[in-house]
Amino acid sequence: MTLDAFGTVLTIAILAIFAGAPLAVVRREAGYAAALAGSILLLIVSIAALAGASVQGLSWTGPLGDPEGFALDGLSAFFDLAAAIVWIATSVYSLGYDDRPSPLLAICYCLTLGAIALLVSSTSLVLFLIGWETMTLASYGMILQAHGRAGRVFSAAFVFLAFGEASTLLVLVAFAGIHAISGSFTTLPIVGGGGLATVVFVAALVGFGLKMGVAPFHMSEWLPIAHSSAPSNASAVLSSTLTLAGAYGLFRVLSMLSDPPLWWGAVMLGIGAVSVLLGALFAAVSEHTKGLPAYSTIENNGLILVALGVALVARTEGLTELFVFALFAAFYQALAHAVAKTALFLSAGYAEYAARTFDLNAIAGRAKDVDGRAYLGTLAGTLSLAAAPPLAGFVTEWMILEALFQSYRFTPEAVQFIGLLAGAAVALAAGLIVVAMVKFLGFTLLWRPRFSGPGAPSRATLGLPIAAAGAVIFALGVGAPWILRFLTPSVASFAGTSVVAPIGGLLSVPNGWSIVSGSPFGILSPAVIPLAILAGIAVGLGYYALGPRAPPRRVRPWMAGSPAGRDGETYTSFGYSTGIRLMMSSILATREVRARVGGVVQAEIATPVAYNVELEVLDLFKVFYDGLVRFGEVFSAALKQAVMPGRLGQYLAYVLIVTLVVVVYVAAAA
Amino acid sequence: MTRAAWVVEADGPSDGRPAPERALAYAPEDGTFALYNDYHDGRAVLVDHPRTIVPREALQIWRAAGDPDGPHSLGPRSVAEGYGVFTFPYGPISMGVPESGRFDVTTYGERILNLAPIGGYKSRRVRRSVVGLTVADAALRVERIAGNYAAAHVSAFLGAAESAVGAEVPLVELWTRGFAQELQRIYNHLHVIARVAEAASQNVGLAQTHALAEEVLRLKAAAFGHRWLFGALLPGGPARRLDPADRRQLAGRIDRIAVEFERLWELFLESRTFIDRIQGTCPVTRDDAIRWGATGPTLRASGVAWDDRLRVPAPPYHDLFVALPVEHAGDALARVLVRGAEIRSSLLLVEQMFERWPGAGSTEPASAPVVPGRGIGRAEAPGGDLVYDVQVADGRVAALGFRAPSVANWPLFAIGMRDAVFTDFHFAIESFGFAFAETDG
Amino acid sequence: MPSWIEQAAHRGILTTRFPRTPATEEEVPASARAPVAPDLESLGRARDACPVGAITERTVDQGRCIRCARCLPAGLAFRGPVDASTRSRAALVTGETLPSSAGEPPVLPGFRRSLHLFLVDVGSCNACNLEVLAIANPFYDSQRLGIFFTNSPRHADVLLVVGVPTPEMREPLRRAFEAIPAPKAVVAVGACPISGGAFSGTPGLAGGLDELLPVDVFVPGCPPPPVALLAALARIAGTPGRREA
Repeated sequence: MTLDAFGTVLTIAILAIFAGAPLAVVRREAGYAAALAGSILLLIVSIAALAGASVQGLSWTGPLGDPEGFALDGLSAFFDLAAAIVWIATSVYSLGYDDRPSPLLAICYCLTLGAIALLVSSTSLVLFLIGWETMTLASYGMILQAHGRAGRVFSAAFVFLAFGEASTLLVLVAFAGIHAISGSFTTLPIVGGGGLATVVFVAALVGFGLKMGVAPFHMSEWLPIAHSSAPSNASAVLSSTLTLAGAYGLFRVLSMLSDPPLWWGAVMLGIGAVSVLLGALFAAVSEHTKGLPAYSTIENNGLILVALGVALVARTEGLTELFVFALFAAFYQALAHAVAKTALFLSAGYAEYAARTFDLNAIAGRAKDVDGRAYLGTLAGTLSLAAAPPLAGFVTEWMILEALFQSYRFTPEAVQFIGLLAGAAVALAAGLIVVAMVKFLGFTLLWRPRFSGPGAPSRATLGLPIAAAGAVIFALGVGAPWILRFLTPSVASFAGTSVVAPIGGLLSVPNGWSIVSGSPFGILSPAVIPLAILAGIAVGLGYYALGPRAPPRRVRPWMAGSPAGRDGETYTSFGYSTGIRLMMSSILATREVRARVGGVVQAEIATPVAYNVELEVLDLFKVFYDGLVRFGEVFSAALKQAVMPGRLGQYLAYVLIVTLVVVVYVAAAA
Repeated sequence: MTRAAWVVEADGPSDGRPAPERALAYAPEDGTFALYNDYHDGRAVLVDHPRTIVPREALQIWRAAGDPDGPHSLGPRSVAEGYGVFTFPYGPISMGVPESGRFDVTTYGERILNLAPIGGYKSRRVRRSVVGLTVADAALRVERIAGNYAAAHVSAFLGAAESAVGAEVPLVELWTRGFAQELQRIYNHLHVIARVAEAASQNVGLAQTHALAEEVLRLKAAAFGHRWLFGALLPGGPARRLDPADRRQLAGRIDRIAVEFERLWELFLESRTFIDRIQGTCPVTRDDAIRWGATGPTLRASGVAWDDRLRVPAPPYHDLFVALPVEHAGDALARVLVRGAEIRSSLLLVEQMFERWPGAGSTEPASAPVVPGRGIGRAEAPGGDLVYDVQVADGRVAALGFRAPSVANWPLFAIGMRDAVFTDFHFAIESFGFAFAETDG
Repeated sequence: MPSWIEQAAHRGILTTRFPRTPATEEEVPASARAPVAPDLESLGRARDACPVGAITERTVDQGRCIRCARCLPAGLAFRGPVDASTRSRAALVTGETLPSSAGEPPVLPGFRRSLHLFLVDVGSCNACNLEVLAIANPFYDSQRLGIFFTNSPRHADVLLVVGVPTPEMREPLRRAFEAIPAPKAVVAVGACPISGGAFSGTPGLAGGLDELLPVDVFVPGCPPPPVALLAALARIAGTPGRREA
C-alpha cells in the first residue's frame, strides 16, 4: 500500500487537526484555525475518494505485527465527509464563540476532532480503538469546561466518561471477537463466525449504541449535555460527530460480518424504534436549549438504526432493491442529521451568548434583533429535523417511512409485526418532534426579549456557520437525487457489492430527478418541490402587484379586548408542551407537586392563599440507572466490609489459603 | 328598631362562633343590619349586627358588585406560582361568553390553576342614578339592570318600596308578579340548557331548546305585551290585565310548551355524550356553597334545600305546591338537572296560579319595613336569592341597594374551576347561569 | 325510544320566510314597533309623560324610545315599521314621516351571502344580547340569509354593539373596532348605544356610540325584536326581500 497524492493530503489533514492542540496553547485562535484547515483538507479528500480517486495514506506495521495506516474506502470517505462539513462550521464558530482565558477547551476540541478523523480513516481496528479512547477522553475534557456549579459539572462529565469507558470496553470485546474469527485487525470483511459473530454483533451494537445514545442508553447523550451545560461548540461536536463516530463503528463492524441472521436486523429495528419515540417525546417536553436538541439526536440516531435494521432484514430476505434503498436511507439520515444538529447547537450557543441562560422560558429573541443569518440557519435546521419539505430531513424521513411501509414483504410474521410497530413509532415521533422544533425555534428566536440585556450581537463568525449549515441542509434536500448518486460508492463499500442508486423519473419529471423507493412503490422528487413553492409565491406576488391594493394597517394582536403582549401574559414554552406532559403522563411519569407558601384560611377570614406548583416529568430509564448505581454502591460497600475489613488476621488467612491452594494445584498438576 | 314580621330570632348568634349552617344573604354597606338565611331550619332572620359568617372576602365582593368603581375580582384571592406558570386575561370580550367580563386564568398550560372572574365592565351606575327618581321611574331602570331577569328585579324592588311605605298591595298584582316570574324562570332555564347543549356540541338539542325558549318569549309577549316583560309589572303602566279568556288561551299554549319540554328533556337525559361532558365538571361542595353564600339552582345542586319562595308563606306561593328539586353532586350536571326539574315545577305552578287567580279588590299588606321608609324586598330569581334594600322619601327613591344572585355564585365558579382543563370552562360557566349585567348593576 | 331525528321531524319547519314575506304579529309584538303620533296635539300631551325625553312638540326621537308605553294614553300608538333602522342618527328623529330604508344602497355590497357578525357588549342589560343571539334560532335562522356569527374580530365584517358604552369598555371597544379589517360596518343595536336608552343622562356613561366610533346603522328598540335585526342586517348586505310589514 503505497502513499499517493490524496493519501498525503489525508495524512496532513489529520496531523493538522492534531497540531491544533499544541498551537492552542500558544494562541487559541491558532488551534481552531488549524482544525479548520485540517477539516477543509479532509473535505477535499473525502469528496475525491467518493468521486473515485484512490486515497492511500500513511501505513506501517504495528507492534502486533499487523498492518496499520490511514486510507479511505467508500464507507470511511462518507463519514469523513459528514464530519468535515460539521467541523468546518463548528471551527469557524469556535473562533468567535470561545472567549475563555484558558486554552483547555480549544485543546480538547482539536484532540476530539483529530481522534474522530483518526478512527474513521484508519484501516486497522487497533488504530480505531486508539482513536476511540482518545475521543472519549478529549470529549470528557471538553465537557469539564462547562460553566456552572463544579459538583454538577463534574458528575455530569463523569457520567459521560463512565458510559464512554463502558463503550470502549464493549468495542474492545467486539474487536477481540473479530480477531478471533479472522485472525487480523484489518477492516476487511470476514467470513463465518457463528456464535462468535453473534457475540461480536451484540458487543458492537451495545458498544456503539452507547456512543450513539440510543435507548436504553440514551442517558449518556442527554445528561452530560443538558445537565452540565457544556460549551456550545463542544455540544455540537458531541451530538453531531461523536454519534457519527458511533454510527461509523456500527456500520464498519456490520460491513465486516457476512450473512447476518434475521434477528439481528429485527433487534436493531426494535431498539431504533424505541429510541425514536423516546427521543421525540422527551424533546417535545424539554425546556433546555441544549437538552432539546440532545433528545432529538437520540431520535435521529434511532432512525439510523431503524433504517439499518430494515436493510439487514431485507438483505437476509433477499429483497435486494429494498436493501439498497434502506441503506441509502441510513446513510443519508446520518449525513442530514449531522448537519442539521450542528445548526441547532450552534444556534443554541448563539441564544446563550445573547441571553446568558439555557432556559427556553427565560429566553426570547426578536427575529430582527437576531442576526439574520443565524435565524435562517436555525430555521433550516429545525425544519429539517421536523421533516419539512424540501429539506434533507424530509427526504430521509420519507425514505425511512417508505422502507418501513415495505416491511409487509418480510416473511416471518414476527418481523413484519416489528416493522409495523416501528413504522407507527416513527410516525408518532415525527409528530412529536414537530412540537419540539417549533418550540425551539419559536422561543429562542421569535419572541420579544424578556431579558433586559443587550440584544444579540451580529458577529459574522457566529452567524455565518449557522447559515452555511442551513444552506447545506437545503442543498442536501433539493439536490438529494444527485447527491445520493454521488454517495453510491459508500453504499457499495458497505454492501460489498456494486449497487445502483434508487434514482428514477416519472411522468414529466426527467430521469434522475426523483428518488424511487422500490417498484411499484413510491417516488419523490425533492427538487420539484421548491419549484412548485416558488411558482405559488410568484402567482401570489403577481396577484398582489397587479390587483387592488389597500395600504396595510398595523394593529396589535387581538387579546379579547385586553391589551396584548404584556410581559408574563403570553404562553410560556413550558405551557406549550404541557398538553403532551399530561397526555403521556404514564410514560413521562408526570406529577404535580404543590406547596403552600403563604396565606391563611380561617372560617371567617381568608387572606390570599399563595402556593407553588411544579409539574415534573421523569426519564424512567434514569430511575433505573440511579437504582443500578445505588445498588452498585451498596453492594461494593458491603463487599468491601466483608472481604477487606482491614483486619490483619483476615488478610493473613487469605495468604495462607491461597498458598495452600497453589501448593495443592501444583502438586496435583505435577 | 322594629323588626320585620318574619323575624324569628331577636338577636344573632351570641356565642361568637360561626354557626355551620348559615350564610349571609345581604349585608348593606352602612352596616345597619344583616340578613341571613338559616339553612338548618329554613328561616330567614334579620339581625341588627352584621356578623361575618361568610368569609370577609365574600362580603367585599358583594359590596364591590352592584356599583363598582372599575374592574374588580369576583372570586377568592389566590396566587399560584411556579416554573412555567403564567396568567393571561380572557376577556373582557371573550369568545363564547355573550357578555363583557374578564377572567384571569393562571395556568402552566392545559390545566387551570386559578381562575379569577373580573366584573365591573358593564356597570351602568344604576344604584346612584335612581336616587331622586320616583319609584315608577326608578323601576324603569331597575327593569333594565338585567333584562332577562326583569320580572324578578322589579318584583323585589317594588316589594321593597311597598314595604318601605307600608302599602297595601292588590292580590292580583302579586299573582301577576308571580306568574311573570315563573314564565321568566322557564325561559331562563331553557336558555341555560340550550347554552350547555351548545357547549357540548349537541346542535340539534341546542336548536330545539332554543326554539322552545323562543316560544316562551312569544308567550310572554302575548301575555304581557313585551317579550322581556318590560313595563309589564310597573305601577301605573298599561300592563295587560289577564282576564279569564286570556288565561284560557295562555294555558293552552303553556300546555303545549310543557309537552314539548318533556320530549326534549327525555332526549337530553338519554344522550350519553351530553351527560358525559357535564358530569363531574366544576363541582361545588356543600360546605363551600354554604360558606360562600351560594344561592339558587347552584345551592340546590349542592344538596341544600332552600328556595326563597318557600321561605315565608307569601302570596302567591302561600298555598301552592312549590317543588324543591335537590341534587347532591354539585357538578354542572346537577345544576342542569335542578333547572330541568324547576321548569317542570314552574309549569305546574303556573297551572295552579291560573286556577286560583284572585278577583279584583282583595289586597295584602306589604311586609313590615326595617325602619319606616326603608324596606327589604326578596325574590327567587332564576339564578337564586335576590335582595333589594330601598329607602323611599316623599315617593322618591332616597337610596338603593341590591344583591343579585350571580354575585353570590361567582366565587363558587372560581373555586370549582381549579384543576379543571380549559375545555371545561364553557360547560361550567353556562351551567351557573351568570349575568354580568346584574353583577355590575 | 325517541331520537333527535324523530324530534326534529315532529317539530317540523319553524323558520319564518321573512324578509320575503311580511313579519307576523307573533314575530313582532306591538310594543316592539316604534311609536307613532297621529297628530301634533298628542305629541304635546305626551311630551311630559316620556321619561327619556324622546318626545318634543313636533318630533319623536326613535333613538331614545325605550318602549315604556307611557305615551300611549296620550294618543301615540306602536305602529312603526318592522325595519326602523336608519343610516344616520338624525334620521331617527321623526315627525310626520317614519324612517324608511327603501332604495338605500347596501352598506357592504359584496357580502350578500356571507356577512359575519361580531357582537360586543359595552354595557347592556342582556336583553339585546339575547335578541341578537336569537336570530340564529330555528324560528329566524340567520344562516339561510348568509348571516353568521364569528368569535374573532379578524373574521368579522360587522361590529354589532349593544349596551350603553361604559368607561371601562371604551378601550376594549376601540381595540375590537381596530381589529376588524376593512370593509366593515358598525351597527348600534337598541336604544342604549344610540342615545343611552333608559340610562341616558347618567354621568360617566357615553351619550351614544357615535361619540366613540363611526356608526353605519342604527337599529332602535328596547330591545329590537329579531326580525328587526334580520331586516337591518339584510339591508347591510343587500339581501333581497321586502322587509316591510
